[in-house]
Formats: sequence, structure tokens, C-alpha cells
Amino acid sequence: MGLVDKGRMPAPLTKLFNMSRSYSLWVYQWGLACCAIEMGAAFGSPRYDVMRLGVIPLPASPRQADFVCISGTVTDKMAPAVRRLWEQMPEPKYAISMGSCANCGGPYWDSYSVTKGVDQIIPIDVYIPGCPPRPEALLEGIVLLQQRIKNEDMAAKWRGEEFTSLQTTRERERVANQPAAVEPVAAREPIVVGGGPIE
Amino acid sequence: MTVLSDRQQLSYIASQAADARLNVELETEGMTLNIGPQHPATHGTLRIICRLDGEQVVWAEPSAGYMHRGYEKLTEVRTFPQVTTLVNRIDWLGSFANEVPFILAAEKLMEIEAPPRAQVIRTILFELSRIANVSLFLGDLGVQMGAITPVFLAFRDREYVLNLIESATGGRFHPNFDRIGGLKDDLPAGWIDETRQVMVKLREFCDIIEDLLFGNEIFQSRMRGIGIIPADVAKDYGLSGANLRASGVDFDLRRDQQLPMAWDKADWKVWTHPDGDSFARCWVRLQETRESCKIVEQLLDQVPAGPIMTKVPRIIKVPEGEAWVSTENPLGEMGYYVVSKGDLGPFRVKIRSASFNNISIVPWALKGVYVPDIITILASLYFILGDIDR
Amino acid sequence: MDPLSDGATTDTVAEDTPALPGDGLRDSIIDDLRRRLGDVIVDTHISPNDDLWIRVQTDAWRATAEALKAAGFTFFSFISGLDWLPSPYGKGEEDPTAEPVEPDTEIRQGVTGGDTRFQVFARLVDLDRHVGVTIKADVPDDHLVVDSWTTVFAGANWHERECHEMFGIGFNGHPDLRNMYLPTDFEGHPLRKDFPLLARMIKPWPGIVDVEPMPAQDDDTPDEAAATEGENAS
Repeated sequence: MGLVDKGRMPAPLTKLFNMSRSYSLWVYQWGLACCAIEMGAAFGSPRYDVMRLGVIPLPASPRQADFVCISGTVTDKMAPAVRRLWEQMPEPKYAISMGSCANCGGPYWDSYSVTKGVDQIIPIDVYIPGCPPRPEALLEGIVLLQQRIKNEDMAAKWRGEEFTSLQTTRERERVANQPAAVEPVAAREPIVVGGGPIE
Repeated sequence: MTVLSDRQQLSYIASQAADARLNVELETEGMTLNIGPQHPATHGTLRIICRLDGEQVVWAEPSAGYMHRGYEKLTEVRTFPQVTTLVNRIDWLGSFANEVPFILAAEKLMEIEAPPRAQVIRTILFELSRIANVSLFLGDLGVQMGAITPVFLAFRDREYVLNLIESATGGRFHPNFDRIGGLKDDLPAGWIDETRQVMVKLREFCDIIEDLLFGNEIFQSRMRGIGIIPADVAKDYGLSGANLRASGVDFDLRRDQQLPMAWDKADWKVWTHPDGDSFARCWVRLQETRESCKIVEQLLDQVPAGPIMTKVPRIIKVPEGEAWVSTENPLGEMGYYVVSKGDLGPFRVKIRSASFNNISIVPWALKGVYVPDIITILASLYFILGDIDR
Repeated sequence: MDPLSDGATTDTVAEDTPALPGDGLRDSIIDDLRRRLGDVIVDTHISPNDDLWIRVQTDAWRATAEALKAAGFTFFSFISGLDWLPSPYGKGEEDPTAEPVEPDTEIRQGVTGGDTRFQVFARLVDLDRHVGVTIKADVPDDHLVVDSWTTVFAGANWHERECHEMFGIGFNGHPDLRNMYLPTDFEGHPLRKDFPLLARMIKPWPGIVDVEPMPAQDDDTPDEAAATEGENAS
């Protein structure tokens, strides 16, 4: 991986790496509430069978995980533990927020003890709305995350640039030449399963 | 102390003796073991802090509150119909069963009753949610003993029940189907026949689990004689549901109180077990799942014709008063003490959830046990975090 | 539902309703308790064949538990608190443009009455006779402490911790009144009525659509007027 260290990688090689990464994702399941059962149904049940997507549940520790699925209500008492878990995960890492509680507080939007959105603590890549979302929705969220990983520019990410979407040299030049006209894609603009804007 | 079997008494004495011996014989350096707040065996975010002496637990204390969502406060700022949306999520595996006691309490204050058809459908859905809840328990039990297969079976067969609940109510998990005065909708066409077929599958599931787990020698040796709770201790701590019945107390709120529900229309049995150990608790739950299938099958033949909703005002104001209604939920006694001041919403709702009491016995039950038994005792007590923390 | 005095309760029950088996049972429970405890029962209320409330003096809170346990009420259900102060914040979903309504500050206790803002209440069940009882006691306003039940029912331990955290009511003789749910640095007692839900004050509650007019309804009912108001507010 010396090429990545130097901060430049040929696009075809990146594509190859990205494809490999996206189909061997270890997911750390951080099941907190009701959604944990639907997550369990997606990860552990024969009907939904997440492994056919190349996602492997139940790693031994967050240090071996590629992405974390936060499913359920995050309370203020739990929030430090969530943050600590996130910091233990090695880069590159991704996060899925499953269910309304994790997204924004859900039915507990006015509660005194619930954190209104896990995105206050960790950066979220994919939001899955629903209370709880069906397992199919979680699977779609994972597919969308895989698409994001496939389009990622590993070298740029390594350099710590904001602009991490994988593009050809020509595209990058075009964007660089027209800074005013074309807004660069935000680095971690989140994906919402089912579409729709995030307020 | 009430009358106990010889084995119960012996183990009880042994656990007491272990307490005394610990301090004298094994002067090893203590160690603190922290389980959780996120652990597969805790069904959520319960944290248990144990102080160990060698392999034995000297002191254990569950630390709850990682899932405290403030239901009791939130009910005070919701209207009566809105509260069911919240209380659904207390015991998230048997959601429909959470709505029923609250709705019954509100109906009691308003002095109305659901029509007979709604009562029977409520009872059927109540028992279906018990099956959905306990079947996952039976599968999960295996995982905690190191057997992975039962959980796949449980998830497979649970889906059938969830499909039924979804086709009737529109929600897999949180139906929010109960209304003050009846139900939101009638049953869809063909639902009753389908339910009959699913009940056959669930009975097969119970048989398989009984063969796979309860007949298994390793399972038995890890469960029998472990975590014995005598009946008087169980009552002191307010254990309810299968945990209480496994200690030999013959008490079931479905049978022992008068509610406008349809349990008395079916012929079923309340199972108890004299031992009070982990095995007994799991065994009672298995038998209860079968009884639930029996209740559902009998009630399917008896769904009366008629309306599903009694006449209620469109904007519901519950008259001033206080009411307590509790039902035998999958986890135990779930009750609501509703105080109304004649407003749109309740003045105060005290939620008595089963797991809170069931888990408060953990410091007592874990004293003197070995580390691997922590998991089996916790598994057999069976709790759901939302039900503890609320 | 006015609090009725002892004699009145029994009389009303005997006169108004036909003699049900449950009533005799609940009357005998009160009589039995009175025999055991003496003159500490302040008020009782019987809902015929259904439920029973007993209010006792604060000093006799633990003695009541002991007496009831001896009388067969061995199953401990719960202990909790009640705050009878009407919430000064309302539901936090009133129309912000409307005139602020003068908040109701009158404290009205519920069944079996009371003299103080805070009350503790508990429920015990007799598993053989299948009858439950709700026990209430006042908590003095100047000194929010009652006796602990932990020596009588071991399960009261967690319930009293919860009640202490939620209402700030102390329990005399409790071994360990730590916070149960909330972080140790949390300020305030959430279930007190004067504890505000800050999120509701910042953001209006969208749930007012609950009283949206139905299409098939007449427009002249009083309910409808309320619904239109609600609609305008949201």
C-alpha cells in the first residue's frame, strides 16, 4: 500500500481495491433498542441473510470492524460509550444510523435523557428512517454504503482531503478549473435510504 | 420460608455457605468484571459490574439506565391516544401486549368496554405477541449457551408470526393498533385460516426447540440447579410471569383477574415448576408458548361477528380518577397506574414493567455463582432493556 | 371522585351496589388492617369488586407494609411517587399567539385525598386471594422523607432508588440511594411537575394534528371548534 501512503493511486487500482473493500465489510452491530431486533433479523436470520452482500456480522471487537450500525435510541448516558467505540475503530470506517431514534430522537424527541441524533457524536454515512426500519431497509442502506465505498478516492481520503469521491483526472481538473460554478461534492454528505432531504 | 423441595433447600444452603466460606478460605485478590453496557447476552445495554473472587462472584450490581427514555414523563405531555405509540416500545418484542393494559385502564376510567369481537381479536393478538416474544427468547437461549442453531430457527419461525401481526395491524414491530373503545381495523380476509396454519408451524418449532435444547445434556447440566430462587424471595422482589411460576407459585393474571378480554373463553393451563432454577424458568416459558398456540387456535373459532369499535367521542377526554390495570405480559406483570384529571392527556402514568422487578433480584441471585453461570441466570430471568429502563 | 371518609365509603358501597363477593373481601381487609395497626388509616376507598385504596399516616408507612405482609399481601408490585402540583408548563403545545392562560396552581389529590404535594404509593398483591391493594401516604412538604420498605420487601430497593431520583423523595433506612437511570451529574428530578422538557419549549409540538377535523363530521359541534383552533395553531 505504499502508493496510498504517498497519496496517489491509479484510478483502476483504486477501483479494484474499493470493490474488494466493499464486499468484505465487517459490521460491528451496536444494537441499542427495538431496532436491534430488526438488525438481528437482517444479520442473523436465514430470510434476509446479509452475508450474500459480502457483509460479515459479529466481529470480535470494534477494532476489527469496517463499519458500525447504530440501531436504536442513544441516551445521554450511552453517548460517551458510542463515541469511544467509534474512536476504537480503525480507518477507513463508516457508520450507519438505523431507525428514527438514532437519526433524530424519534418518538423521544422531547425526552430529557435521549440524545437527539447520534450524528451529534459520530459522523454518519447512511441514515435509515423507520421505527423500526424493516430489515430490507437496512439491507438497502448497506448496498448504498457499498456504492459509496466503490466511488471513494482512497488516496485523497488518506491525504485527509475534503473531496474524497473517486474521479478521473480530467473530472478533477474540470472541477478545479471552475471552482465558482461547480460546488464540490461535500466529503461525507450523508445518504438517506428512500431519498429525501436532511434538514 | 415456604415449603421447598430437598434439592432447592440444599442448593440454597450451599449458596449461603459459599458466601460465608468465600471470606475465610479463598483469600485471593479480588477482581472486578464489567459486563456491558453492550453485550450480546444482555439483549441491549444492561451493564453488570461483578466483583470476583477467583471464579466466584462475590458481589454483583446491574447498572441500568443506558436505555432510559423517560416514558413516564413523556406520557404527561401526550394525549391518551398518543400514549399507545410510546408504550409500544417498552417491551419491544411483544409490543401489542404493552398497549392493552394502558387502553384497558383508560377504558376503565371512561367506563366503557370494547365490543366482544374486539376483545377476542385483542386477546388473539396479545397471545401472538407473546409467541413472537418468547420464541425469540427460546432461540436466544441457545446462543448464550454457545449453540447457534436455535436462533436461526427462532428468527425463521418468528417471521411467520410477525407477518400475521403485520397483515392485521400494519406494523411488524410496533402495531399501535389498540384504540380506546376497540381496535383500529378489522381483521383482513383469510387471516384466520392463515393463523391456523402458522400455529401448526409454531408448535413444530416448540417441539424442535425442546429436542434441541431442553433434551440436551450440556444444556441441562448448565441450567439445572443453577440460580435457584425460592418462592418467598421471588415474591419479595416482585418477580412475575414465568419467573414466579417457575418457583412454584401458581399465579397468572390472565386467569386470576376479571378483565374484558377473552382468555376465559379458551381452555388452557397455567404451568408451574417446583424447582425454581434456570431450567425451570426456561421450561415454563416453552410450555407457555404452547399454551398460547392453544389459546389462539381456540379463539380463532370463536371470533364473534359485530363491530370492532364502541362509540367514543372523537376527542377523548378521560374523566377524573385513578385506575390500575395489569396484565400478564410475555415478561410478567405489566401494569399502568393511570391518574387522570379530566384532560386530554393523563396527569400521571406509573408504568410497572415486569423486567424492572425481575432484574432487581440479580444482586441476590448472582451472589456466589460462577462466572459462566452469570450468563445463564441472566438469560433465564429474561429481560428486555426497554422494559427495565423505560 | 371526592375522597370519602371511612364510614361513608362502606355505607355507599352497601347501599348503591348489590352485594358483590369482592366487597366483603375488601372490607374485611380494611378491618383486619385496622385491627393490626390501630388508628393510622386516614382514608380508604373501595371500587366494588375491583380495587382497593388505603391511605395511611406517613409515620406508619413501614408498619403498614409489615402488617399487610403478615396479612397475606406477600407479592410486592411497585413503589412510586405522585406529584400533585399541576404542571406550570402545560403540555408545551399551546398556541404561541394566543393569550397565555393563567396556569392552574390548585393542588387536588386523587383517590383517598391527601394534604401534601407529594405522595408515595405502592401496590401489594395477595396471590392466594387474588386481590391487590394500593397504599398511599403523604410526604411532608418541608421534609421529603418516608421510611424505606427495603427491610420488609427486598424488591423495594430499586423502586425507592427510582423514586428518589425521579421525585427527590428520600427513603429513611435505604442502604444505597444512588441514581438509577440518569448520569450522576444530572440536575433536577424529572418526574416533578415543575421539571421542564426543554425540547418542547424550543420546538412546537407537531402532534396537534391529532384533533384535525374529519371530513364526514358536522362543523357545528363544540369539538369541531376546538379542532379548527388546533389546526390554525399548527
